[in-house]
Parts: sequence; C-alpha cells; structure tokens
Amino acid sequence: MHIPDGIVPPAIAIGGYAITGGMIWYSLRKINQFYNPSEEIPRASLLTAAFFVASLIHIPLPPASIHLVLNGLVGVVLGYFAFPAILIGLFFQAVMFQHGGLSTLGVNAAMMGIPAVLSYHLFQFHQWFPTPQRRPLIIFAFLAGAMALALSALIFTALVITTIPAEMNPQLERQGIYLGLVGYSIQAVIEGVFTMLLVSFLQRVKPELLDIKK
Amino acid sequence: MKLTLDQYAHIDSPIHHWNQQLKLIALGALIFAFAFVETLALLPIMVGITTIFFCLSRLPLSFLLSRLKYPGIFIAVVVLILPFISGKTVIWEWGGISIQQEGLLAVILIVTRFICILTMSLILFGTAPFISSIKAMRSLGLPSVLVDMTLLAYRYLELFGETLTTMQQSMKLRGFKVNRFSKRNLTLLASLIGTLLVRSYEQSQRVYQAMILRGYGYQLSNQQTGLRSALQQATPLMQFWFWFSCAIALSLIIAEILT
Repeated sequence: MHIPDGIVPPAIAIGGYAITGGMIWYSLRKINQFYNPSEEIPRASLLTAAFFVASLIHIPLPPASIHLVLNGLVGVVLGYFAFPAILIGLFFQAVMFQHGGLSTLGVNAAMMGIPAVLSYHLFQFHQWFPTPQRRPLIIFAFLAGAMALALSALIFTALVITTIPAEMNPQLERQGIYLGLVGYSIQAVIEGVFTMLLVSFLQRVKPELLDIKK
Repeated sequence: MKLTLDQYAHIDSPIHHWNQQLKLIALGALIFAFAFVETLALLPIMVGITTIFFCLSRLPLSFLLSRLKYPGIFIAVVVLILPFISGKTVIWEWGGISIQQEGLLAVILIVTRFICILTMSLILFGTAPFISSIKAMRSLGLPSVLVDMTLLAYRYLELFGETLTTMQQSMKLRGFKVNRFSKRNLTLLASLIGTLLVRSYEQSQRVYQAMILRGYGYQLSNQQTGLRSALQQATPLMQFWFWFSCAIALSLIIAEILT
C-alpha cells in the first residue's frame, strides 16, 4: 500500500510533503513536551528498526500471503514518535527497496502516519476503564490496529482512483473503489487481530512497552 | 537481510565526487521537477537528463534493473489496466476489447516519470555511503531527532533482520508450518513479532546506557554546516553542476507551467 513515484499529480506530492512537515512539527513539539528526547530516541529508533523488519514477515492467507503494515501498533507502542518512525521506515523502503518513492514520501507518510497517531489516541481510551481489566485493552488494541489500516487504505484507494490522469468510466471507478475497500476490510481485520495478539503478548511479557503516556 | 545500498558507493565517477549536500539539493530539485511534468512533449528532455546523469554516475545498468523489479509490479498493473478502462477515444479494438488513447498517454506519462524519478533517486543515494547522505541532510537542517533516529534505526536494521531469520529458522526446526493458516499459527507469528520488539527494546536500553557514557545529549562545538559552506568547499566544476541541475529543474517547471 505505497504510492510509487510518478502516479500522483505534483499538487498531491507537494501537498503530502506539506502535511508531513506539519505532522513532524506537531510530533516534535509533543515529544519535547512529554518526553526526554535523548532518553527516548534509542528506544524509538530501535523499535522503528524492529517494526521495519517485522513488516517483512509473510503472513499466510491462502492462496497467497500478505505483509503486515502495523501502523496501528506503531502508534500504540511509540505514541508521538510514531509519525517520525513511519517517515523513517518509508524513507528506508523508498531508498533500499524502491517501494514507494522519494517524490511521494510525503503522501505515503501522511497516509500511514496520521492514522498511526490517531490509533495511539484511540488506544488510550482503554485507560478509562478500571485497571487491571484485560478486555478493554484487547478491544481497543483491535480497534486501533483495524482503524489505522482501514483509514490508510481509504486514503490510498481514494488517491489512486481520483488522481489517475485520464477520464475514467464512472461505473468502473465505483467498482474499483468497492473492490479495493472489500480487500482492505479483510486486511484491516487481520491487522486488528495481530495488534490485539501483540498487545496481549506485550502486556504479559513487557508491559512497560505499552506504558507510553508520561 | 542484506542492505545493498552502499554496493557501488565507492566507485570513481564525477557524481561520486560531488559533495553530497549539493547533490541532495540538485538531484532533489530535479526529482521534484520530474514529478511536476504532465506535458508529454517534456518527457524526452526528462529521459535525456536522466540518461546523462546515469552515464556520469557509472553505476551498472544491472544495478538499476534489479532495483526496478519490485516496484515494477505496480507499474505493470497500471500498464495492463489503464489503456483499457480510461479515456474515450478508441484507437484500437479487437473482439470487444478496446484501447483508449487517453489511457495510453496516461500510461506513457506515468511510466516515464516513474523510471526517471527512480533512476535519479538511485543515483542520489547509490553514489555515496548512506551515512554521508544522512549527515548531509543534518547539515541542511533536518531536525536532530529525525537524524538520530534514522542513524540508529539504520545501524540496527541488519542486526534485527538477522535476529528474525534466526528465530524463523528455530521455529521451522521445531516443526512450524509457515504456510498454514490457523489460529495457532497466527498466535505464534504474533509472538515472533512480539519477541523481536521485546529484544529490540532491551537492546535499546543497553544502547542508551552506552551512548550516555560516551557523552550523548551534549552539543558538539559549532561546525560549519549548511549550503553556503558546502558551496565554498566544492570545486568550481561541482559548483557548475549544482547550479546547472537547479537551472534545469527550474526550467522544466517553468516549461510545464507555460504549456
């Protein structure tokens, strides 16, 4: 789910960089407000590398297999570091694997990063429930994971379909959108389930990884 | 997981000798100018500029072709679908299948832009060690949080890649069926990712302790950085190439606006 170079018109590419610039400014402001940056940078960086590697794992989905996007989980674990982490991950993918692209880095970062930050806030709602209840944690983990992927997929489908530089048959366009949304709904459920399983695992093994609010 | 980005970073070519800060701005400007192009008449100029830079970089063609393979899948889908579904003017029809002119022109535009931008990106990051590129970005004003995160993440990518491979091999040796879709398998794969995250977190604590022992968090003495000092340090030929590339990028954008 990456927009490659050359697909979107320049206004979208530039707009993507402008939104990403704004989000980086917002994230850095929040990081300086809530964290000690020099203490948190090694943690956020190494987790960024781990998430990057984890996204390369094949998940069997007969007859094929998929890769996880994990932007919801990145938000849950990294909080305000999620947007910079996603930007860096996408930059690595663009320069190392040519997955995505440099001109569309801004669009891709905004598409994946904003849902990640939103899923961090969504996940925080589990604290409304009295601790140590496990169920709200699991439910909000699922919602955070599924929502992040669904929102990214929605933005991706809308961008690709509406910015193709030629007139398209409206009926085909509608069918394309429906087909994309059905496919991504399935992936959103899978992402939600994985986020749920991972949050449950981290809560048992390393709960401090989920305790990101200062 | 082998990161082969620096594979040809040390060969001898004019582009390799170019100061990375100037290269970032000049080739970055060209990449954005290419993304700006929507007029078909400007495509040959774009291809010509890309070819000149690629020849000057002396990167092997096989390197470029190997990098085109993976993203080429998405482009192949565009090529196969767009001419048949997009547009109104039919230029060829056979057995109910028709190719539309607008769709075909859109494909030519997308594919040319894609290949030119990708080649330029490869020249930009393939002709200098990756660390030099990040240092150049820092000197051009990239926030220190982003620079530190990029450097540290890059440092540990390969290590975690190897950790993952080792863990996956251990799972297979214990009878894990990779391609089976079941609830148990999903739980095991989640545990695999979770273990990777926990290991990286524990390593980050050791890394942080090692870093503060070496003085991390304290500012170094003011070094001369930025575009002006990069231009002062560059040879006249490199300065010429910098201004020349920026001028081409600007000309392409002006030509696009005028047409």
